[in-house]
Amino acid sequence: MSTENRTPLLRLAKRSEMDPRKVWCIRVASIAIALILGFIPILLTGNNPFAAYGVIVQGSLSRPIYIRQTVKIAVPLLGCALAIAPCFKMKFWNIGAEGQITMGAVAATYFALFWADKLPHFPLLAIMFISGAVAGGLWALIPAFFKAKWNTNETLFTLMMNYIAIGIVAWLQGGPWEGRKGSQLIPMFSDNARIPTVLGVHCGWVIALVLVVLMYIYMNRTKQGYEIAVIGDSVNTARYAGMNVGWIMMRTMFLSGAISGIVGFMIVSGANYTLYSGVANGVGFTSITVAWLSQLNSFAMIAISMMLAILEKGSNTLQTRMEIPASIADIITGILLFCMLSCEFFINYRLIFRHRERKEVNV
Amino acid sequence: MKKIAFVLIALLLVSGYAFASGSAETAAASDPNTVKVGLLCIGDENDQGYTYNFIRGRDEATEMLKADGINVEWVTKFNIGEDATCTDANIEAAEEGCQIIINNSYGFEPFMLEVVDEYPEIEFISCTNCASAFDGRDNTHNAFANIYEGRYIAGVVAGLKLQQMIDEGTIAPEEAVIGYVGAYSFAEVISGFTAYFLGARSVCPSVTMKVSFVGSWSDATAESDAALALADQGCVMISQHSDNTTPATAAQSRGVFHTGYNNDMTGVAPEASLISTRIDWAIYFYEAIKAYVNGEEIPQDWCKGMADGAVVMTALNEAIAAPGTAEKVAEIEAGLADGSIQVFDTSTFTVGGEELTHAFALDTDGDFTADSEEAVYDGAFHESVFQSAPYFTVQIDGIEWLNAAY
Repeated sequence: MSTENRTPLLRLAKRSEMDPRKVWCIRVASIAIALILGFIPILLTGNNPFAAYGVIVQGSLSRPIYIRQTVKIAVPLLGCALAIAPCFKMKFWNIGAEGQITMGAVAATYFALFWADKLPHFPLLAIMFISGAVAGGLWALIPAFFKAKWNTNETLFTLMMNYIAIGIVAWLQGGPWEGRKGSQLIPMFSDNARIPTVLGVHCGWVIALVLVVLMYIYMNRTKQGYEIAVIGDSVNTARYAGMNVGWIMMRTMFLSGAISGIVGFMIVSGANYTLYSGVANGVGFTSITVAWLSQLNSFAMIAISMMLAILEKGSNTLQTRMEIPASIADIITGILLFCMLSCEFFINYRLIFRHRERKEVNV
Repeated sequence: MKKIAFVLIALLLVSGYAFASGSAETAAASDPNTVKVGLLCIGDENDQGYTYNFIRGRDEATEMLKADGINVEWVTKFNIGEDATCTDANIEAAEEGCQIIINNSYGFEPFMLEVVDEYPEIEFISCTNCASAFDGRDNTHNAFANIYEGRYIAGVVAGLKLQQMIDEGTIAPEEAVIGYVGAYSFAEVISGFTAYFLGARSVCPSVTMKVSFVGSWSDATAESDAALALADQGCVMISQHSDNTTPATAAQSRGVFHTGYNNDMTGVAPEASLISTRIDWAIYFYEAIKAYVNGEEIPQDWCKGMADGAVVMTALNEAIAAPGTAEKVAEIEAGLADGSIQVFDTSTFTVGGEELTHAFALDTDGDFTADSEEAVYDGAFHESVFQSAPYFTVQIDGIEWLNAAY
């Protein structure tokens, strides 16, 4: 009995390196399991799950306009995942991308509203781009500065900064930038302040793809990328090697916030054509999942963000065609993310059951 | 490897099957008497208020059209935001074959207008807003109803109750204070509560009003809090321009009376709610869809009132209303219909102690300040004449704005 008490039914052990092929099999299987589990909520609404999945795929990919709509959803997810990747690599938990996007959008909107009739098209867009990046970067720099200086908790700090940013926009919306009195709507941008389209989607997707390559090079081929990786593994090692950890944190956060700010610029100038408090629309949080699922690999982020975009766009069509509430699609997305993240757990750890024979003896 | 290949092939087959089985894509209706209409809603029918009122209109119009041999296939989308998701919802409805797309909330219009040029053959309708009618496009339309008429009558019902309380000695004449829960200090709201106040004062001369803006069209808790605060400040009658029923229940919990909007609220507050007024959207939906099917133009800017049934009163709560209310309501309804009663009769109110002699109706240069079409003539401010959306924004004497921040 005494051994019985000491050995739990279930134990966890860290795995050694797995065969990469096997790892990918587990990942594909986890998606398959998630899709099968997704049958349950669809069946509960009284619909055929195969038809529902079909509608999701059709609604997101079956027509050029649907593909364009899907890409439009994927672009900010991808851009923002790229933005937070270096922070997470450094184990600096920046969950403030939402606010950084919002502040980038605010800065870009300022120029779109008040300088659109004074500047030509491309200089205006360039200023919006730069101001968005600077505003997002500075917004991210605040928590980084406090972390570097007084070791404040960056998770809470960045989170709280989101609500301040959203509050600022809500104030602008009902106050100084409001259009018709009492409408709570900021006027739509003039054509001059809208970014051009490439293949029917605003050219933000080109910017995002360029950023994918740049971020890959930055993280894997530069000294700064290496410093980030060292800090992520061990702050003490970094200090011992003579790195200025505080400075690197601030630099990386500025970079991260700047990319989020650019995403904010792309959203207001390429997709929404106006600013409102929900401008980031949860992208700052969803992109954390994108970054994690892709193991902070820039190229994998393209696939993951497209997958989430397909689900989101498809679930819209699901609501239109089969009158399935949009929340059911959210549940399916949740199941999918849960399965994919937990499969990473099983890739890193294995379960050990208590020895079978002993169990039989005890019975 | 064989196993993996097998799994992959199986997955491929299943996904192929799923893709095929989802192919219930409905083509645009080929039958000329069948029309596919999209209705994009800011909430869902559970609000028992704003969106519920549209759903009611949708279902009634469907029945009325069926009697005329017209079948309507509705695509209704709920909980759309007043943001870019509205643009996407319009694209979605257009791509799914809708021939008419109705946007039910004011804030949808700018996002709807982003889409309309891509689909010139589809008719887009923005309810309660005002840009579509004047944008020079043939396929964009506005619609609203003279809800201020219904509010005026609701005000009369409230005023009669207050006068009864004064006559019975329950309250002193100066204690006849109305508390109004408004969404924003927005023309539609200002027009509504002013009409309501003038209705009340027409039968209860000592009445005054306090308006509290909650900063949201639909925030059940904030609306309730505002109503409770108003009651605590001495208001004995609560009314509302917001989407929920919580002001009614708040009024009942404080033992004061209430008149509602969008829906009969006597069910949730039988001891407080006297009457409600609502727009009957079925009248418009019927006319617009019928015109479309007959190959006629949908009006660019549609606005009808009580005389046409587009604005209706819900059943009067006879158990608590002042005696003689029903007769008075009938009398006013007749007066509004034949034009002998003007809601915004300039002899009945003052602005800063002076009679109102001038106010513009329309904004033509896009700076959001009205600059053309004189609305004051023949002794009255003429609401919803130059456009369907309300444009009365004057602050009249007797109404106190508690917070103008929104």
